Amino acid sequence: MNLLTQAVISGLMIGAVYTFLGIGLVLVYRTARILNLAHGESFAITGVAAALLVGKAGLPLPLSLVLAIVAALAFAMSLHRLVLRPRAEWPPGTLILITLGAAFVVRGVLILAAGTDPVSFPALFGGMPLRIAGGVIPQQGIALVVLGFGISAAVAVYLGATRSGKQLLAAAENPYAAELLGVNVERARLTAYGIGGLLGALAGVLLIPLIAVDFQSGLAMTLRGFIAAAISGMSPVGVIFGGLGLGLFESFVGAYLGALYQDPVMFCILIIVALWQSRKIRFGGSRRA
Amino acid sequence: MTWRYPVWALIAGFLILLPYLGLLPGWTPALATVTAFMALSLIGLNLIFGVTGMLALGQAAFVALPGYAAGILQKSAGVPGLVAIPLGIVIAVIIARLIAEIFVRLPGIYLAIGTLGFAFVVEGLARAFPSITGGASGLVLEFPVAMTRNTWYALAVISLILGLISFALLVNGKFLRTLRLVRHDELAAQVLGVNVARLKANVFTIGSAYSAVGGVLLAYYVGVLAPESGGVNASLESLAMVIIGGAGALLGPVVGAAGVQWLFAVAGGAAHYELLVYGLGFFFVVLFAPAGIMGFFGRRASSAPAPGEAAAASQVSIRPTQDGVCLKVENASKHFGGLRAVDDVSFEVRFGQIVALIGPNGAGKSTLFNLVSGIEPPTHGRIVLEGADVSRAPIHRRAAEIGRSFQVPRLVPDMTTLENVAARLDHLPGVHQESARKQKARAQLAAFGLDAFADRVVREIGLGFHKLIELARASAGDPPLLLLDEPAVGLTADEVARLGAALQRLKAEGAAILVVEHNIDFVATIADEVVVMETGRLIARGKPAAVIADPKVQEAYFGALA
Repeated sequence: MNLLTQAVISGLMIGAVYTFLGIGLVLVYRTARILNLAHGESFAITGVAAALLVGKAGLPLPLSLVLAIVAALAFAMSLHRLVLRPRAEWPPGTLILITLGAAFVVRGVLILAAGTDPVSFPALFGGMPLRIAGGVIPQQGIALVVLGFGISAAVAVYLGATRSGKQLLAAAENPYAAELLGVNVERARLTAYGIGGLLGALAGVLLIPLIAVDFQSGLAMTLRGFIAAAISGMSPVGVIFGGLGLGLFESFVGAYLGALYQDPVMFCILIIVALWQSRKIRFGGSRRA
Repeated sequence: MTWRYPVWALIAGFLILLPYLGLLPGWTPALATVTAFMALSLIGLNLIFGVTGMLALGQAAFVALPGYAAGILQKSAGVPGLVAIPLGIVIAVIIARLIAEIFVRLPGIYLAIGTLGFAFVVEGLARAFPSITGGASGLVLEFPVAMTRNTWYALAVISLILGLISFALLVNGKFLRTLRLVRHDELAAQVLGVNVARLKANVFTIGSAYSAVGGVLLAYYVGVLAPESGGVNASLESLAMVIIGGAGALLGPVVGAAGVQWLFAVAGGAAHYELLVYGLGFFFVVLFAPAGIMGFFGRRASSAPAPGEAAAASQVSIRPTQDGVCLKVENASKHFGGLRAVDDVSFEVRFGQIVALIGPNGAGKSTLFNLVSGIEPPTHGRIVLEGADVSRAPIHRRAAEIGRSFQVPRLVPDMTTLENVAARLDHLPGVHQESARKQKARAQLAAFGLDAFADRVVREIGLGFHKLIELARASAGDPPLLLLDEPAVGLTADEVARLGAALQRLKAEGAAILVVEHNIDFVATIADEVVVMETGRLIARGKPAAVIADPKVQEAYFGALA
């Protein structure tokens, strides 16, 4: 087995997941001006729900996956519709805190539902793994890479090149002006939370059979999605490259240094991103979000 | 104030004696000890998050870190325990400072993610090197002094009370006002002269010191330090306790820690439901009772005027420079990409002169204001203030010379009018005593006819007065230059008249005043000189009547009307 090829393959797979998560964070940030700390919970909810439905309830895999995705989507959209939207005038810091509280509640529910041990479910795309240049990639992994980057690119194109996508982004830049121009800001935000939740859920469906998920995966995913998004400066196109780069880097660290170093290295990347961002705003002492 | 210390000492003495008197049943001293150390560490999070509003999502890292550092020094390096423990605290605080320095200059969410990431790192490293850290089963710690259950309990009570007293002494007066100002509005804080990034880094450092002291004592008391105590779940639980107890309240951490720990102790069993209880408590308190349990005990009454705090006449301290020029804008330009928001603008404002800056929307007036007050640096040209080039000085460094008001007043709504004005004086040289500051603030309000509002919370005062209060704040301490952004907008005729009188008085005292204003009648009555901008350029300058009659200005500014 070729370590380099294998590192590239797993980097592509992880990168696809981070892109999935990052673009959802960017979308919500750009439309609602909130950094949704409960974003990664869609991933965790999908994984735990699917594992329990398949494993404990014995439902067929496709049905389980659909139900799990619906659960994640319902969580993301109701967080906005029932909790955040009625409090739109609250200070952004408090709204972020509310999303953290929601993530916390999800953790509490997931640990009761599934315990502390990681759980998983069968891959959607089974069959023999493919061998490429000394590396091995499961068919599920191919689906993950193709769909991850494909769907994220489609979302980026939709936001940048179509009328309704541009309206979605305009909703955040200036909600009042957008409203005057006939953009339904409220619908734009709900759509953003919905797309974000859906992409998080898809990441879960595709990745979790290859690894596993536990009750605390959500915030770890939010953290990585945020780093991918921050590298790109919260741009929908940039986050694709941010996620890819981050995934490859993490995979190489894991392959050549060992998986134990992944958290510290991830943190170092965050520090580098922060220092890079601060460089632009040294003037005046601090930046207003 | 002084009567408090004997009371504290009595409470402490009584609490310490409880177990010796047999008044605490079997298991309670141990639980009380844990709760007290935990509450001590939470004072730090209460300062960082509760009072200052900084999202520190990984504070447990700084609770566990000193224990790990001290334990490793003791075991692997053979450092004696009495040295290792303080050293562990110092190491944790230094790391906290470094992390703060990296993240505080960025929007708050970076600190949130950065601290969250750090909690992952601490827990991950503790698991990754079992030979040094004890791995998943934890690091065994031995306290260097022989302690009984009751002496531990006494140490916990004493250290918690000292922690609370130090917090009460520190988070008071000027410092508390500054923290509330920064929490509410960082830009306003900078304009009033606060170095926001440094303040936030200091708060994070001091808060982490509390976390470290409480954390290291707790770890040595329990005797084992597990990786998860420095991780994300523990951090979230800390946040939950502070929020449930009452974020920002002195006793919030104590109430939160005690409430949650005793609830679990009574409910019994280490089942997995604990996380959900924390989570639901956190979530619902944030949504429905932001002041937490302490919120039900009512807030401190706002301070009544202390004796001897009567208004004293303010002494004007503006001393004009020799050439009489206060602000000189020299060929200033500001480009955003291809857009020339301000394009080669030059003019000056003299001491005792009111200059009005007018122009249609998008003319670059606000950008010019930002260049002068330091919110943005000019692309070309210079901003000269009292003969010194300040083009590149950060906002807070030129704040003493510039009093600024905003288009929409940026007062702190939950502070009194007096505190809002005092918050300005806090960061000016010259006034050091709290009573002197309050006295001066009261005099300033009296000069603006606002004495009746002094002790009322700004939120409860009509919006029409906010502009005048902000003007009183901006001109407190007699800054030589006043920058006023649309001071007359939204005011009634009566209020405009008051404002005009106030500006005339400030002018007579020697202030240089630059006003952006759309109300042409107002400009014509008060301004000595009018500067007109259009699409970034200065197109006319002179006496109000002459400028307003200028056909170029008529076309640019009154185009639709002419």
